[in-house]
Amino acid sequence: MIPFEAPVTAALFDGAGQAMFAGGDGRVRFEGGAETEAHEGAVLCAAAHPSGEGLVTGGDDGRIVWSRPDEEPQVLADLKGKWIDALAASPESGLIAAAAGRQALVLDAGDPHFRRTFEHERSVSDLAFDAKGRRLACATYGGVALWFARIETQKPIQLKWAGSHTLVALSPDGRFCVTAMQDNQLHGWTLPQGKDLRMGGYPAKIRSLSFCARGAVLATSGAHGVVCWPFTGGGPGGKEAAEIGHDDSALVVRCAGAADQPRIAAGLNDGRVWAADLRAVGLKPLRAEKGAAISALAMTSNGARVAWGDEDGLAGVGEVPA
Amino acid sequence: MPRITASTAETVDSPKGPVHLAGMTDKTPVTVLTGYLGAGKTTLLNRILSEDHGKRYAVIVNEFGEIGIDNDLIVGADEEVFEMNNGCVCCTVRGDLIRVVSGLMKRKGGFDAIIVETTGLADPGPVAQTFFVDEDVREKTRLDSVVALVDARHIHEQLDRSREAREQVAFADRLILNKTDLVDEAALAEVEARLRALNPLAPITRAERSRVPLEQILGVGGFDLDRVAERLPADNPGHGEPGHVHDENCGHDHHSPDHGHDHHHGPRGHAHQDDVKGVSLSLERPLDGQAFTRWLDRLLAEQGPDILRAKGVIDVKGEDRRLVFQAVHMILEGELERPWRPDERRWSRAVFIGRNLDEAALRAGFEACAA
Repeated sequence: MIPFEAPVTAALFDGAGQAMFAGGDGRVRFEGGAETEAHEGAVLCAAAHPSGEGLVTGGDDGRIVWSRPDEEPQVLADLKGKWIDALAASPESGLIAAAAGRQALVLDAGDPHFRRTFEHERSVSDLAFDAKGRRLACATYGGVALWFARIETQKPIQLKWAGSHTLVALSPDGRFCVTAMQDNQLHGWTLPQGKDLRMGGYPAKIRSLSFCARGAVLATSGAHGVVCWPFTGGGPGGKEAAEIGHDDSALVVRCAGAADQPRIAAGLNDGRVWAADLRAVGLKPLRAEKGAAISALAMTSNGARVAWGDEDGLAGVGEVPA
Repeated sequence: MPRITASTAETVDSPKGPVHLAGMTDKTPVTVLTGYLGAGKTTLLNRILSEDHGKRYAVIVNEFGEIGIDNDLIVGADEEVFEMNNGCVCCTVRGDLIRVVSGLMKRKGGFDAIIVETTGLADPGPVAQTFFVDEDVREKTRLDSVVALVDARHIHEQLDRSREAREQVAFADRLILNKTDLVDEAALAEVEARLRALNPLAPITRAERSRVPLEQILGVGGFDLDRVAERLPADNPGHGEPGHVHDENCGHDHHSPDHGHDHHHGPRGHAHQDDVKGVSLSLERPLDGQAFTRWLDRLLAEQGPDILRAKGVIDVKGEDRRLVFQAVHMILEGELERPWRPDERRWSRAVFIGRNLDEAALRAGFEACAA
């Protein structure tokens, strides 16, 4: 594969389990070989399109673009002069959410006229839909705002915690909201009560949060292995995390979990990629040789395939050995 | 195009091979441009962007929006100051800068330098700390320097009135004394004396209408441990003070006809007692390495919020190499640098710039580290 001329900024799978990539050079590439020029500047973020076909990208050109292998890229929204910092999409509700500065914008893949804008006091750093795609979590400095994604006028539920929240995830059962924080720890809230959970001890910045195995496990990067928190029963409160694949010589900078299976994948800062089955011992190397740090990673919902990209623009996809 | 596969061989054999693009692996230098309202920052930025320098710069300004000018790029940021959850003011960073700088680093080709403009009332601390505290930013960029523009005509009044103005001067690695055409030489000398007292580390460059050579602003290396020594004042009193010897650090043209050495009339006419000042320490005897490290750690732990900048070169007993350090509030970097040269004066020097510093206590603590 021809490398991107900039870091790979997103790796994803479409509804059929085919890999898709986006890069800092504004391009989108598909596993089948097709490629499109989606943005004038860099692709900053991406999400698989709710239809299962192609991906939605957000760029520093202010555009939100839907790219498919054999179609012209389609501009879904154009917020001129702004950067699209984060994207989330829900196949269940067909909604697409984008963060631009202090705004979260919600679009409907099935209705070009639908548009909701939610204002925040501070910049929105990340977005997540719940399992049904009805609620939208927006992470900002000081906490998370929970919105009903389709409702036009409302006051969001504010989950507050001092500090800067950089990533957000909602557990598939809707009982937990978890954020990664600037100071190398996780924060969680039980829903709907809003009881606080703190999960710390990370040596590095947490750049990935991924619920896997139907929400039983939250896999996170930011350590020498993938840190997995148990979310069965009462959640991780008072429990210890498991660290999978600990390696003193490298840091896990990206991780991905299989939505339906207890399988995870890790992308390291030395360029290596591996997968693991949480029920078995041992790692399955997918990219064994070292290179530039991994900058994007995805795993299919069944845990059978992994896609990755690195900071030098190289991308790849591999089958996880049985 | 070949099908994407997991085969690493195919990745390596691709037409271009695994490319290391320039700018993707080297850290991009960042210059922070501060200065009180009306000091001339916008004029300076416009000059940088309009100059035919053949480089690609990204300028982060305080207005929202993004504009491309030829090769360069102007991006708006929001001055969102983030405190860490631990409540430590020394970990306060600019969240918007993390976002914007991380975004810029994803672009094709990269930039030769990034220039961050702060608002006239900004505290430079959080801006500088962003480049040490956030991992993504630290991995891709390095803070080159903080440059402060000073309005020669209004700076006295601004320093009297505004804590921000004092701290911008005190924090800087280089001071651009701007609008020098609007005041006379005696007044300039007086301003320089006051600036020197606030900040003995930063060379002063005189300028008119923000006309400053780019190399005075970019590539200063203000946080570079290798260049700590050249910034420390020698036995040379500050510019504008009696006995000052003009050298290359003064940054003005020594041959200009209006450059009069008329320092005899006592340039410190105003009895300024700024709460921010620089304290220079030195000792001819070697220091005990452990005692010094303990003292410095404790000093920064206790007074870090008040210490804006610190730099030093230390002669450690029993060590052939120079110990160099620099600190921003509580963020300390130090290393054993090159060996002392035989022809070099072997002594320890340190400068602390901060609020409410007790000079006598600092001197006593420093000298107590003598081996």
